[in-house]
Amino acid sequence: MTRVLLVEDDAWLAEVEAGVLTGAGFEVQVAPHAPAAIDLVDSFQPEVIVLDVLLAGSTAFALLNELQSYSDTAMVPIILCTNIADQFDAAKLKEYGVNRVVDKTTMHPDDLIAAVRSVV
Amino acid sequence: MNGGEGIFDVTPQITPLVAAAHELKAPLALVRQLALRLGDEGLSNAERQRLLRQTVLTSERALRLTSDLTKVARLDSALFQLEPINPDQLCRDVVSELQPLFQAYGRTVAVKGRRHPLLLVANRDLLRRILLGFSDNALHYSLPGTAVHLQIQALKKSGVVRVGVRDFGPALSSDMWRTLKKKLNTAPQAIHARPESSGLGLFIASQFADAMNGRIGAVRHKDGATFYVELQASNQLSFL
Repeated sequence: MTRVLLVEDDAWLAEVEAGVLTGAGFEVQVAPHAPAAIDLVDSFQPEVIVLDVLLAGSTAFALLNELQSYSDTAMVPIILCTNIADQFDAAKLKEYGVNRVVDKTTMHPDDLIAAVRSVV
Repeated sequence: MNGGEGIFDVTPQITPLVAAAHELKAPLALVRQLALRLGDEGLSNAERQRLLRQTVLTSERALRLTSDLTKVARLDSALFQLEPINPDQLCRDVVSELQPLFQAYGRTVAVKGRRHPLLLVANRDLLRRILLGFSDNALHYSLPGTAVHLQIQALKKSGVVRVGVRDFGPALSSDMWRTLKKKLNTAPQAIHARPESSGLGLFIASQFADAMNGRIGAVRHKDGATFYVELQASNQLSFL
């Protein structure tokens, strides 16, 4: 079962997204903020990380910097799940190790599942 | 690399209208996801009821924002009655109003009581809106299982009463704190400064505080933050 770490600080959205991914056969753990995500990266060893942009206390980019700085986590595929998908520079995102961007405002549950499957 | 600068391919000019549209995206996106989830045939009745409740509460959060925006647009032309107000009672009213939302999110909200009553000079509706806004913000940044506190403090030297909302969550990074401090008394900022928050809530609160001759501010803690509004203490204090 593919392990997916979902980093999302809105508890209800996290529940919905985790439900969708679990229903599709993924093993999912949720982190509500960056420090919890770092802990889970160590203990859960995710094969994919689905990441919200703004996290309580910091942004996803601070977390991405940290993940990129370790050899064992730099290779974990990252899916950015955001309300402002239309505002990113795709080339720059690659520098941060982001493989896919999913737009929360138009996302259908199947889109999230497909995005995860596409990077595994 | 840094905290995300340069990653955006547009740097939009943020007018209050654009900021409002942006701020409404999050609750609308959540309502949409909850509605899509409700369409799942495998849900139990209890799960369906819970999702419906979450949909209603999220809609109400978005509606509060639209109501505040309407109020801000009318601030110049409206006369607001300033009157002596007991902030403790108002805080208790705000807590009652927000209790269902906080409970649904697994948080609590409470008034940190004072032994001695205080009065301040304010418009009840505007102060209520400020406290609702700060509390809503605190809900987002507090950790599950923690309490958000509404606190009242007399600053006797300056003759003001400070009403604050304290959350307990991850400490804000220094970069985010600097950005946030800039937003306290300015119009909504460029989205890239803090991607999912244009500072509209703070802008609204500062406009309401201005209309009552007050000001807003924030204090950073190791385990969260306090957002507050300071208003003139009422002279009627001495009669209490």
